[in-house]
Amino acid sequence: MLTRGTLIYIGQRIVLIAFTVLAVSSIVFLGIHRLPGDALFSEHLHGQQYELLLHHYHLDEPLWIQYRDYLTGVVTRGDLGESLVNKGVQITPLVLRELTISAEVGAFALIFTIGLGLVLGVVAAVRQNTWVDYVLTTTSVIGYSMPNFVIATFLLLVFAVWLGNQTDGAFYYQIGGGWTGSIGQIWLPAFALGFPYASIVARLTRASMLEVIRQDYIRTARAKGLKETVIMVRHALRNALIPVTTILGPLVIGIITGSVIIENIFGIPGLGKEFAQSILNRDYAIVIGVFTMYAAMVGVANLGVDLLYVLIDPRIRY
Amino acid sequence: MATAAAVVAREIPSPEQASLWSDAWRRLRRNRMALISTIYLVLLVLVALLAIFYTPYRMSAVGIAPTYSGPSQAHLLGADGVGRDVLSRLMIGAQISLIVGVGTQLLVVVVGVTVGLLAGYYRGWLDSVVTFIINVFYGIPDLLVALILVFLLGPSLTNIIIAIVVTRWMDMARMVRGQTLSMREREFIEAARASGAKPVKILFGHILPNALGPIIVQATFGVPAAILFEAFLSFLGVGIQPPTPSWGSMAADGIAPLRIAPHIVLAPSIALSITLMAFNFLGDGLRDALDPRSRR
Repeated sequence: MLTRGTLIYIGQRIVLIAFTVLAVSSIVFLGIHRLPGDALFSEHLHGQQYELLLHHYHLDEPLWIQYRDYLTGVVTRGDLGESLVNKGVQITPLVLRELTISAEVGAFALIFTIGLGLVLGVVAAVRQNTWVDYVLTTTSVIGYSMPNFVIATFLLLVFAVWLGNQTDGAFYYQIGGGWTGSIGQIWLPAFALGFPYASIVARLTRASMLEVIRQDYIRTARAKGLKETVIMVRHALRNALIPVTTILGPLVIGIITGSVIIENIFGIPGLGKEFAQSILNRDYAIVIGVFTMYAAMVGVANLGVDLLYVLIDPRIRY
Repeated sequence: MATAAAVVAREIPSPEQASLWSDAWRRLRRNRMALISTIYLVLLVLVALLAIFYTPYRMSAVGIAPTYSGPSQAHLLGADGVGRDVLSRLMIGAQISLIVGVGTQLLVVVVGVTVGLLAGYYRGWLDSVVTFIINVFYGIPDLLVALILVFLLGPSLTNIIIAIVVTRWMDMARMVRGQTLSMREREFIEAARASGAKPVKILFGHILPNALGPIIVQATFGVPAAILFEAFLSFLGVGIQPPTPSWGSMAADGIAPLRIAPHIVLAPSIALSITLMAFNFLGDGLRDALDPRSRR
């Protein structure tokens, strides 16, 4: 499977990702530096103190030197600089720690999305044109029409307010209670994050299943006397998955994007919350850092999805 | 032959004839969800127009009702955290949502159709460049780029629309490009070219009218996406700035007092969800009506 061609392809893609990340990072860096106002405006400092702070962040140097230092920092040391609001906080370790939290929630959302979407899609296809099908297809329109923050607030309202505090602190999400502790709290945000996309996965699965189950080899499988579940899962679903994988790239991007809102609502101290918070705080250094991180994640995710095609469909080669 | 056919066509009583559009309209009316959605959207537009002249209270008037007070006779949807009338703010929010949704799609149609037509018709290096750009744009997280753009440009209605157009024009361009690519090989285009029609005439007189159906469908699906973008931006506080309300920022205001005053978050959330749903159902209906082959 890992032929020489595939390895070369992966290599090329990684180089491309690196360049994209640098480009994104530069655009945001230069864009932010031409914003009006002063990055240290909120400090209410005057005179020498202000000068010292300017010097500390190298803001007293010409833009192109700042940019050069920033780029060398990123490329050679993976150093994204220091927070402008919280003095002395290094951004790289901060962002990496938050990334693990976001990844945990995101992974749950992803598993949930794909699992639920596939099950609903297959059921709707197998029961085509029955009430089950109509209910599922209509719910899926509702599903992808609801913004994730609406789903999140409804969930909070139902589970945290009306049903008493079932979530046991979904309002005050704490990380560090171990895996079992987090799983109990993670399912609400994961549901809110994944549900709109589960509907899309369900729709796609249904459509491609309908196409596949009419094909000759399915009839052959039936004629051989295979059990219906075996036919559906092993023969139909595997081929129906190929078009569904195309949604995986946008899905991962959607979960990353969605986390910016969902983490704010549920108070999850992850990358998304940091991003939204630093934009409001005008902590430019963190905005640049997190956005660079996002660009890298999206690039890697897209590469991962493209490689997944090879796993699922042996006809595809790079 | 041709004249005979024309004579026959003229002699058929006109009610028997069905143009593509009247046919589509008939099919659309039969789709119940699409019809309900259309009625809802017409009402929404009327409410938004009404809000130009009249809202029950001034949308920014503070303290006209007890803070966090629930729905009552005087304030049908209650009041928010600083005692502003939620219904009045919801009406202004409808304006904002519709302006963003429709305005964005108008621009997207202009950009996407032009780019798509040119790339599909002239092919060659132009097409390669356009396809490359489209692919690059597909790889980026559109909402986050829009977020950064609004952050860099500064939050205003125009900038929000620009940011959404920049991140959302590709779907339209790609679709129109595909349509153009397949249509330019067809006989009627060949005939037009043979009879000496100029490229502009072929593109806008022959190809564009025939691609109008998919363009309308695509634009209809683009409206809820744009409204969602705006709500997302405003929810995070980088979109529409106070005191102007947006459904997104109204929902964000309602999260903290969720326990004591759920109506603050429920009103804009429900309005937003129903509006997005209506546009999606209408899009589904239009797609089925304009392209009967794609029906399930």
